[in-house]
Amino acid sequence: MTSKITSSSTAEYFSKNLQQVGFSSGTKAVLTTLKESVDNSLDACEDNDILPELNVIIKKVGSGTQKNMDSIYVSVTDNGPGIGADDLPRVYGEYLASSKFGRGRCSRGQQGIGISAATTWAQLTAAQGVLVTTKTSAMRSAIRAQIEVDIKKNQGSIRKKESINWDRPHGTQVEFTFDGRLQLNGEGGILTYLTGTSLVNPHMKLTYKINDEKPVVVERVSNENIKIPDAVAPHPHTMKLGEFIGHASLFGKSSVDNFLKKGFSRISDQTINDLTKHNVKKSWISGSLSSLGDADFKTLYTALQNVELMAPSTRSVLQIGEEALSHSIHRLGDIDFFSVVTRKARICDAKPVVVEVAIARVKNSGLDGDDPVQVLRFANRVPLQFDKAACVTTKAIETVNWRTYGLGQPKDSIPLGPYVIAISVVSPFIKFKNASKETIDASDELLEEIRLALIQAGQRLSRHINKENRAADLEQKIRHIEQFGPILIEGLGRILSAPAKRLDVARQGLLKLLGRDAQAAEEQLETAVAKHAAHEAKMKRKLGVTEDDSQEDAESEETPNREDRPTEKSSAKDKKSKTVKKKGLKASEDDEDQQLDLLGSPTITETLKDPSSNDGEGWSV
Amino acid sequence: MSKPQSTWKIGKGRDVPQVSKELCERILADLERARRPVLEATKCSLDNSFYNSKVGFLTPGDKVVRTELNVSSVQKMSRAIFFLEIFLRHLTSGQVNSKRELYYIAKGECKKNKHLKALDFADQTESDAIIDFVGEMLECYREELNCFANERGGQTYCQNLVVTETLLDGSKATVDLSTLGTSPFQPKNKPQNFQLKPKKGKIDFCLIVESEATAGSLVANGMTRRHNCIVFGAGGVPSNGVRSWAKAIQDQLETPIYFFGDLDAYTIQNIYRTLKAGSAASLIRNSDFSAPEVKFLGVLPEDIKKYDLSAYNVNQNDPTEARALKKAADALKNDPFFKDKRNKGLADILDWLIDNKVRCEQQAFYMVAPRDKEMCEKIIVEKIKNKIYV
Repeated sequence: MTSKITSSSTAEYFSKNLQQVGFSSGTKAVLTTLKESVDNSLDACEDNDILPELNVIIKKVGSGTQKNMDSIYVSVTDNGPGIGADDLPRVYGEYLASSKFGRGRCSRGQQGIGISAATTWAQLTAAQGVLVTTKTSAMRSAIRAQIEVDIKKNQGSIRKKESINWDRPHGTQVEFTFDGRLQLNGEGGILTYLTGTSLVNPHMKLTYKINDEKPVVVERVSNENIKIPDAVAPHPHTMKLGEFIGHASLFGKSSVDNFLKKGFSRISDQTINDLTKHNVKKSWISGSLSSLGDADFKTLYTALQNVELMAPSTRSVLQIGEEALSHSIHRLGDIDFFSVVTRKARICDAKPVVVEVAIARVKNSGLDGDDPVQVLRFANRVPLQFDKAACVTTKAIETVNWRTYGLGQPKDSIPLGPYVIAISVVSPFIKFKNASKETIDASDELLEEIRLALIQAGQRLSRHINKENRAADLEQKIRHIEQFGPILIEGLGRILSAPAKRLDVARQGLLKLLGRDAQAAEEQLETAVAKHAAHEAKMKRKLGVTEDDSQEDAESEETPNREDRPTEKSSAKDKKSKTVKKKGLKASEDDEDQQLDLLGSPTITETLKDPSSNDGEGWSV
Repeated sequence: MSKPQSTWKIGKGRDVPQVSKELCERILADLERARRPVLEATKCSLDNSFYNSKVGFLTPGDKVVRTELNVSSVQKMSRAIFFLEIFLRHLTSGQVNSKRELYYIAKGECKKNKHLKALDFADQTESDAIIDFVGEMLECYREELNCFANERGGQTYCQNLVVTETLLDGSKATVDLSTLGTSPFQPKNKPQNFQLKPKKGKIDFCLIVESEATAGSLVANGMTRRHNCIVFGAGGVPSNGVRSWAKAIQDQLETPIYFFGDLDAYTIQNIYRTLKAGSAASLIRNSDFSAPEVKFLGVLPEDIKKYDLSAYNVNQNDPTEARALKKAADALKNDPFFKDKRNKGLADILDWLIDNKVRCEQQAFYMVAPRDKEMCEKIIVEKIKNKIYV
């Protein structure tokens, strides 16, 4: 006897498998709820060209309904466009209802699962869904309503809807109360998430309050909104046969010629001519799509796979930008120095990808030389906080030989020291390993692309470390002369019972000898400093500071003798103000640079600690 | 880099205090002239090692290590002169100390005397390195500076051996090993000061056992009562004391010596080779610290089949084991001892171990007949009698 076959709704499936979408523990539940709320807010602001301003409140409000769980309140308020009343149940209460699914854009959210899962979790653990307050600019008063998921039907339902006065022109606030556990620090910590989100969203102003602590305000460091590029038409080589046929159905009775040219990118008249050399009949090209059978579609698809096409466009992929990252990195803490590398958009596994890397040495980070560096991973500007070991970013870090750049590193492991390595991967089609989007799958091409970015950042970092080592070396040598010279001479004197006069002469001789060594070390330091300065000047030229300024600066930096160094330091301060003034110029030239650079060489920004300042504030060149 | 202006090399066989003072005089004289003193010492490494089959141990080549006084080496040089002063004082007074004691002496002195504070030794590895450096500068043994390592290995059992030791004050102490019961005789710091003599006739053989515990067990089971032999334990990689004790037995008693240890690459390469031909690290001392007549009794590869021994596969995931095999492969290519045709038998064993990735412990002999406590001894004696060794 066969058992009865039943159908389940999508919501029913996810409500029973919430661990697959980031709700496998109390700690992860808090983080995922926060993450999904913040992602939605940022995406909404960016889509509507609004500089995001977020207010986050997280607090423990009592004991949870489950054993060993607390009742946690999470509120995220944004200044986004607001949500129309009709859309509220779909956004918060229906799975796979998304304005972004399959659009091929680099938005944070994609499928429309996360926020509905958060509502479900709250509903399951606290018997109440999400409380949403929203107002669009067209509304006179705001709507406040509780949204729940109708699990059987996969539909959102509105409860307790009311109109209220809200002191803002538009925006949305989501409030969740649910069972969870608060973890502040560490890889799965709330603070780690907020810090990471601040790093990759320089245009965001964030205010957060955790429990009874004072509110923390993270000011925005860039006033330029990040524009998510529009999606480009799909590339034929990135599709499977079924998708190809499904895509064709959208074009109804259009001609095949029209379908190929408008439905895909990188298809030209020449490409269509080439198809006929691969068993595609000429009559098909001008004929209607509806006249093709499944076998014909297969022939057409196979022919497309066999013709040579330009690589997919990289226009649909965005980058945070080096300048923005250079400013944003100071949100990580008190930074000694750092380097930032933004690679040009590349095609990895037939998908456009941009990899950006920032490495910073953080003062008072609590990490010492024997601790592994802190790794921050981002996918489409969302922090990834779990299952680090399986992620392509971690694997890439482990494959780089960091010892070459002056960092300690156990074999095949991440390097050691008080550093933060942040890796951002942005692509409209990131291959995650799981639905909760915690790790990026390791393809060889993506691994190599991340590795190259890390190597470039490491090379830049090594200049700082080399300079530091040289300075420490000189200091140690001078100290050695003062400390050990007398001991050596006196020891020899005692063994030989030598007269004081002989020892005096020997002491003079030793000082001469060691003085020569110290002078050599000093020259090495000068060379390192000069190389470093020359590199800075080169970077400045690359970033759009005028040639005259660069030469002037380079000349002042390459001053070889010690006495002149104070002048060099003061010129560094001057440079800081010059750079700030020229930000606008930099952005436009970068764009041009990107278009012209057919070879795809990376653009590199490096930010250094001003050697004369004691406040630890970095400055960009 | 400027050319060094003054170099010298100290010859061997000279009076240590005298050589030390000459060295200091040269350094001081160079400093008076603002010239850079440069010291040269024999390079003690495999690339400067040669196996001399006539003498039977590794000998040094022409390569030297130069230590130039500069701002980077002034700390090391100051520490060396500081230790040299201690050694000269001890050589004058006859005081003897271990390396560990010298570490504490130096540490205490540096802590107490503020002028020496910069020399401070954080741990023993730092002082050990300086002690070795002084030995290299003077090209003398550590023991010639009255500095000895803690005794390890060498516990000796025999019913037919009398040892006469010349003490520091010139008096002599005589020990009849047959009177010690089950207690071993522990050869002290300078085996060169021992005179060895059988009580009667000649001793048939000497057995050096890799494991001290196994040596003790063989004796406890009656081996030295049943056989006219010396049994002593090496205690792993042989110390200078064990190495020169083996040489003393070889030279003074003219008795055949056999080594009994595990069948693995580490034992053959690090323990047996060091005992027989010295090591690359002690090139200048090998003439006094090696016993070239020692034969490798086993465990041999053929013993596994013959006695059905409990051999097992090497765990290649174990980094130590994997490293030992890799080192064995390197030794076959680069070690002059294993490359020499006279040691082909040993090289063949290494080859066999690399190919078969098998090991067998010396204690496997006990299990050939678990109820017979003398079985291990019987196999050893049988192998000696039938000349089944390498």
